[in-house]
Amino acid sequence: MKVCMITFRSVTPAQRAEGVLKKAGVRCSIHRTPKWMEEQGCGYSVRLHRRDVPAAVPLLEKEEIPFRKVYLLRETGKPEEMRL
Amino acid sequence: MTYLDNGATSMNKPQAVLDAVRCALENCANPGRGGHTAAMTAARTVLRCRERAAQLFGCKPEQVVFTANCTQGLNMAIRTLVKPGDKVAVSGFEHNAVVRPLYALGAKTVVAGRKLFDPVDTLERFEDALRRGAKAAVFTHVSNVFGYILPVEELAALCRQYRVPFVLDAAQSAGMLPVDMEKLGADFIAMPGHKGLLGPQGTGLLLCADRLEPLLFGGTGSDSKNPGMPDYLPERGEAGTLNVPGIAGLSAGITYVQRVGIHKIFEKQQRQARRCASALERLGFRVFSGREQGGTVSFVPDRDCEEAAELLAQRGVAVRAGLHCAPLAHESAGTLETGTVRVSFGHDAAPWQTGNLLLALETLPKR
Repeated sequence: MKVCMITFRSVTPAQRAEGVLKKAGVRCSIHRTPKWMEEQGCGYSVRLHRRDVPAAVPLLEKEEIPFRKVYLLRETGKPEEMRL
Repeated sequence: MTYLDNGATSMNKPQAVLDAVRCALENCANPGRGGHTAAMTAARTVLRCRERAAQLFGCKPEQVVFTANCTQGLNMAIRTLVKPGDKVAVSGFEHNAVVRPLYALGAKTVVAGRKLFDPVDTLERFEDALRRGAKAAVFTHVSNVFGYILPVEELAALCRQYRVPFVLDAAQSAGMLPVDMEKLGADFIAMPGHKGLLGPQGTGLLLCADRLEPLLFGGTGSDSKNPGMPDYLPERGEAGTLNVPGIAGLSAGITYVQRVGIHKIFEKQQRQARRCASALERLGFRVFSGREQGGTVSFVPDRDCEEAAELLAQRGVAVRAGLHCAPLAHESAGTLETGTVRVSFGHDAAPWQTGNLLLALETLPKR
């Protein structure tokens, strides 16, 4: 499974994103953002399948839920920032 | 006990509020800090309350900042909008939660509209103050002493017309009258969680349009490398651990209010307040009543107001006497020297409560 992570600055937008995405039928879960990924120190992220990212991002934009970045978690374990 | 002091705080909370507090104490850790189950349960509890409040008050969940009480929210809002020396328009019925922060800041307070139950006077005086260069306005929705419902929609429209930012103090209206952030175009709306919204004490909400200057600085669980507070809501206004059990109870209180319906709650309160006012007049007391009145009635008894309240308490009726932390309102009504006895009905307003009050009053020793 190709997993992506959308990162958020705090738990509030991350939870709102989780709610919006689940309501739209997107399977996702909320996690702490890995330390090295979060430039500002601490944050939360939502994990979802890569195939759902193109639908998820406009949904978040429509709901005005700010997110930081989207990462693709490669099988090698090395994440790669996705350009949207 | 016949509890008629809902203006101070609500009692007889719904069982769901008590259950929610207990559930949070048993299951919730610190929201927005960890990723484990108990932390995420807490975060979900907090978000649920934000979403419910946002739905009830016409704003986005992020615009809902949790405070310890209405006073804290008013302080935050006033500190954001007002600079020392600024001219600020306030109604003649403000609580010390508005008057004292303005005084502490060194603002020039312009009291606009002192006539009780006279929305025309309130609007005319307010427009005058705005026209004369007020930098901000702060007004209560409902007087905590007299139950006077101010014409807040029209006041908000005036503020928008004169491009003056404003703060609405919804201490006595949240959960009892419609309050809509978007429709009013308010910069801030502050409210307690423990009065009309039926949550526990130690809870409050500050609805913020966009900007907010924090009163407290500290950890938010986000932006940790930044020595300054985050520049986004709600975290900008929420340093330190939130009162999760209180918020859980508040969430249940909001749900209860929405289920029963604020109009229904208000009608019950107003009906009893009107019935009470008429009866008190018949008993010969000086009663303050008018058309634009909610579930609160004040009267001047035939003895010291504190003595009257004490005698009523001895007869099992809880009311509040004195100045009710609102000397400005008493000054406007001419009761600064005597104070009043305030009867304030809650979500459980019922004819038997009015009946018990009147019965108790009739048994007071004659003067």
